[in-house]
Amino acid sequence: MLKVENVKKAFGDVIVLDGVNLTVSPGEVVSILGSSGSGKSTLIRCINGLEKLNDGRITVDDFDVSKPRDLAEARKRSGTVFQLFNLYPHMTALQNITLAPVEVLKRPKAEAEAEGRALLASVGLGDRADAYPSQLSGGQRQRVGICRALAMKPRYLLLDEVTSALDPEMTAEVLAILAKLATDGTTMLFVTHEIEFARQISDRIVFLEKGKLLVDLPAEQFFAPDGGLAQPRVAQFLSKMRKD
Amino acid sequence: MRYTEFTPFDLWLLTQGLGVTIGLFLATSLLGVLIGVVWGVIRFYRVPVLTQLITFVSEILKNSPVLVQLFLVFFGFPGLLKMNVTPVTAALITLSANTAAFVYVIAVSAIESIGRDQIEAARVFGLTRWQVLRHVIAPQAAAFSIGPLTALLVNQLQVTSLISVIGVMDLAKIGANLNLRTLKPFIVWTAVGILYYLAAKLVAMLGSALEKRLRAHSAFRGL
Amino acid sequence: MKIDLTILAPYVGFLAEGALLTAEVCAVALVGSVILGMLVAIARTSQLAWVRGLAFAYVDLFRNIPFLVQLFFFYYGLPEIGIYIDAFTTGVIALSISGGAYASDAIRAGILAIDNGIIEAAEVSGLPRRVIFTRIVLPIALRTSVRPLGSVLINMILTSSILSTITLNELTGNARIVTSETFRPFEVYVVLLLVYAALTYLVSIAISLLHRWLNRDMQPEVN
Repeated sequence: MLKVENVKKAFGDVIVLDGVNLTVSPGEVVSILGSSGSGKSTLIRCINGLEKLNDGRITVDDFDVSKPRDLAEARKRSGTVFQLFNLYPHMTALQNITLAPVEVLKRPKAEAEAEGRALLASVGLGDRADAYPSQLSGGQRQRVGICRALAMKPRYLLLDEVTSALDPEMTAEVLAILAKLATDGTTMLFVTHEIEFARQISDRIVFLEKGKLLVDLPAEQFFAPDGGLAQPRVAQFLSKMRKD
Repeated sequence: MRYTEFTPFDLWLLTQGLGVTIGLFLATSLLGVLIGVVWGVIRFYRVPVLTQLITFVSEILKNSPVLVQLFLVFFGFPGLLKMNVTPVTAALITLSANTAAFVYVIAVSAIESIGRDQIEAARVFGLTRWQVLRHVIAPQAAAFSIGPLTALLVNQLQVTSLISVIGVMDLAKIGANLNLRTLKPFIVWTAVGILYYLAAKLVAMLGSALEKRLRAHSAFRGL
Repeated sequence: MKIDLTILAPYVGFLAEGALLTAEVCAVALVGSVILGMLVAIARTSQLAWVRGLAFAYVDLFRNIPFLVQLFFFYYGLPEIGIYIDAFTTGVIALSISGGAYASDAIRAGILAIDNGIIEAAEVSGLPRRVIFTRIVLPIALRTSVRPLGSVLINMILTSSILSTITLNELTGNARIVTSETFRPFEVYVVLLLVYAALTYLVSIAISLLHRWLNRDMQPEVN
């Protein structure tokens, strides 16, 4: 279980997360919606330990990310895919994928490479294993980014606006892979602006607004008139996003 | 018998050495900047042959050891030119030329940093090439080059220490003499090092103060 | 007096020996300064204030004190504390320490230029700090600092001429011997200037090639 309990986070005077509670169970796909600056990305960065909490607790399978001793174990259990890919520029696609399995999980190199190649093949990049990030398109880079996270066999996949930097065509490539992961039962926490897509693949949708978690509902109820839409802020947000 | 203790007179000697170092540094910097800027202007006018010659000489001076340049002037010039070259003369010639070579590069890039469109605009208004240089290019180029020039001069100050090798009584030479007499290398070279360090810091400070003032003049002050 | 370069012919081999020694001393000192530069660059990003302060003091001191003074400090000072080493080793030590100050700046700039997101990606995948540093930060930083490190090497080649003052018979040292045998300082030092300039020119070409080769995987996108 991934548990976020009463988490508070501020940057100086600006409160970004204001008492957020959230639970993700294995097998669930949870999407986080909210306007820019609502704290969605910060929440992900708190879960993977890139930001320190001001208050509250985050545990990944009972490992507390705020405890230095637990953080390594918590990080092994979660994998992160970034908005701007953040691939290692001096390594090939395959090397990007195998570095952590070999160094952190101590997997034999040949084994990690075989798995890495299989992962790349599963996202349609079987022939690009030896390409460097600079030789790949944005969509291809993000697919490598997903493989890099999956190679660690994480229990929870954290996705931080992974299609925001991509054009529509590349977005479609990446979403198709995420949809497949969702049907395969991968647990995902998914920060996104792709509302329709979130609706299709999510079990639950939560709505963040000014650092507070306003709504946490099963996907179909989120879009129901008597569910999420009953919240004026959600209705406003959805109609604005659809107009764009 | 040699006297191996430090005496108050040694302080006086060090001060004298520092004076020689700073004096030669100032003189050669001034000459070097002047010559370098003139070279830059010659290039700006695209004077044939001369421009290529200057570029070649500047490349050689930048890419060879100053010590060898000093030896060439001090040991090589007298026989060739039938002139008497004292250590100080050799130091003046070499360090000025060496500084000029680097100043030339700074001057060229400073002139090039000013947009072609600005120069063309000024030419359209009927300004001569000289007027463009004086009124449009020079003020901007000066502000642009103060930073690199300061870095260069801090470096050239240290380069002056090489003239001790041909016998100029500068700070390094006084240090060498003290070192031989007292046989206390750590104390002597630490003291000499500190003096050079402080002088370098002074040059850097003056440079950045000047830069601030020049920038204040060229900065946009709002409406 | 006429310029006659043929008198140098018998000494070509002797000068080449000197050039070889120059190359050796610079090659070893380059390795030394890159290692030192890496350590100091790491120290300058340390979380401990005193480590940062110490690293900064080192860079600041050795960049602002003439190499000649540093060299004499080691050459005359080390025997004083019971360390007897030859001129070659002393030269390597002095060049490494002085070059290390410049190399650390180049490497530090390379480290600071790394996109923070790349390091975050490595952190969240659970890689320990040591692995992040050796497998990600350093390789990227070293690639981007190949050119500035090349300038450090070129400077080192020129600076190594000063080692002739501590009796090391590298290129300049041997040239001095040739002048004392031929009494033709002008010819010897003119040739020496050109040899150094050619040497540094070749090195700069090699660095450009190395830079291109190391960054072959960072070519522009082929979207």
